[in-house]
Amino acid sequence: MPASRAVEQPGKNMKILKHTPVPILGQVKKTIELRRTKVEHLIMALVVVLFLTMPLFAGPYPLAIMMDIGFYAIVTMGLILLMGQAGQLSLGQAVFFGLGAYSSAILTTQHHLAPWLALMLAAIITGSIAAGIGRAVLRLRGIIVSGVTLVLNLIFFYLVLSLVDLTGGANGIINIPSLSPVGVIPDSLFDYYFLWIVAFLLLAFSLNLVNSRTGRALRTMNILAGGGEETAQVLGVNVMKYKVQVFTLSAVYASIAGSIYAHHIGCIEPEIFGAHLSLLVAIMAIVGGMASPWGAFLGAGLLTGLTELLGGVRVGSG
Amino acid sequence: MRDYLNWAKDILISARGQGGEARDGSFLELKNVSVSFGRLTAVDQVNLVIRQGDIAAIIGPNGAGKTTMLKLISGLLPLSQGEIWFKQRRLDKISPHHIASLGVTQVFQDIQLFSNMSILENVMVGCHVWTDAGFLSTGLKLPHAKAEEKEIMERAMSKLSLVGLEQKALAPPANLSWSEQKISGLARALAAEPDLLLLDEPYGGLMTSEIEKLSQLLLKLQQGGITILMVEQRTDEALEIANQVIILDSGAKVADAAPSEIQSNEHLIATYLGGRITEGGKLHYAASE
Repeated sequence: MPASRAVEQPGKNMKILKHTPVPILGQVKKTIELRRTKVEHLIMALVVVLFLTMPLFAGPYPLAIMMDIGFYAIVTMGLILLMGQAGQLSLGQAVFFGLGAYSSAILTTQHHLAPWLALMLAAIITGSIAAGIGRAVLRLRGIIVSGVTLVLNLIFFYLVLSLVDLTGGANGIINIPSLSPVGVIPDSLFDYYFLWIVAFLLLAFSLNLVNSRTGRALRTMNILAGGGEETAQVLGVNVMKYKVQVFTLSAVYASIAGSIYAHHIGCIEPEIFGAHLSLLVAIMAIVGGMASPWGAFLGAGLLTGLTELLGGVRVGSG
Repeated sequence: MRDYLNWAKDILISARGQGGEARDGSFLELKNVSVSFGRLTAVDQVNLVIRQGDIAAIIGPNGAGKTTMLKLISGLLPLSQGEIWFKQRRLDKISPHHIASLGVTQVFQDIQLFSNMSILENVMVGCHVWTDAGFLSTGLKLPHAKAEEKEIMERAMSKLSLVGLEQKALAPPANLSWSEQKISGLARALAAEPDLLLLDEPYGGLMTSEIEKLSQLLLKLQQGGITILMVEQRTDEALEIANQVIILDSGAKVADAAPSEIQSNEHLIATYLGGRITEGGKLHYAASE
């Protein structure tokens, strides 16, 4: 090779680097689609059939367990996006589940809003609070984030206890109206279908997200997946913005589950939303697998089933 | 809100850079740049100009501040003193992701491919900088996001084809050789469509045949209009393809010249390149003895 190769006119040969179609692109696309469709469609079909037919042969008890799995799955799905994709170790999901539940309950019982509207407003309120918390907390890194978010559970618990006029204190809030339109189908059946439709819609949203520019950007920050903030930044990813956005999104998932839970059960109290719930959800995410949002359903199913087998107490039982 | 304020600040700084100060038209310019970590001065008052379309190589002994220089340019480290200008924009006051969006992409020495993504997905990440679909549009698969995803995949495959790895598109990084991983990292950087590539020891860990192949690729990129600033321990290989060679020692610039000038300077060769000039006037490295 010559010692020096000066380029007289930079860019004159730009056509060398110009984007050109690659012959095997179609083959690659097809392989990717097949990989996704084979596994995901099969699981999706099985789950949908199971969930649709469940009320036909199952009694109230199995349906109550399915409701629990649905609540847990939604909260865990948000955490999987935050922890599994972006690598942010958060242990505060119970706070946002509780915020969703309390916001919905307060808006319907004290301000007499329609439950549907309350659910949506609760998600906005929770999302806004989460965005604020995220901006402060996510400047920290690694295990410190999990420590601080764990402390949030305690702060939330004592806030709920002390704001008696708003939250009912230790007594909680009762007579929270149902989401079900009066007289159409039984409330419990409506809640069952509503919860699972929401869960599947959020699953579809999450899967789309994971397999997109946004999902890849989240994974660049994940140290456990060979990424890191420096790598992400030099590739143009606004790390702080993405961390706050996914933190907010995971909180909105938890809020939606919390709202549906409050309207389903009809009464809430602070003990339900303690740190134990945040830890349980984190374990569900780890057990189910954090690489895919599907892990939320697996983790929630396995741990709820195990809890029932061991005679534990469901979320729904208060 | 802080992000938006930072963004507004970035825009203002960029605007000042474009119109506020007369620049000499250099592509990349470091002015009196220093950085210290406590008492240690890693880079000491370095002035440097890189011309567009060149391959510039920074060489020097371990601990000379070579990698630190790259991190200063890509914004990963803050300056203690001085200014960095790129295409008449001041870089040292803006965030690394914004610097990337201006056309500066760094490839790390250890590549840092994402282990939970295929090689294709790794390269698709490189397209992040020129795409803009957000959470809502990607989650809902809106037409804009779908069209963008299609474009990202095509562009990523095109870059893999450019570096000769299109057949490995769906393989996980762990299944690739070190050389292929290095090339994949380069393809990922190219997917960002950079004007300036910062390469940290691109030849590190490669065999002679692989180095030759990589050199050919870098020259091809240069011909395509990409400016390359590389840090390299393998000085002889770097000297072969570079137009400009910068020698750093203990954070200070001790030489900045064309390779031919460096190769004819006995003192520099003996001190920094570990070689000598033979009686016949040829460069002879101690390592080859």
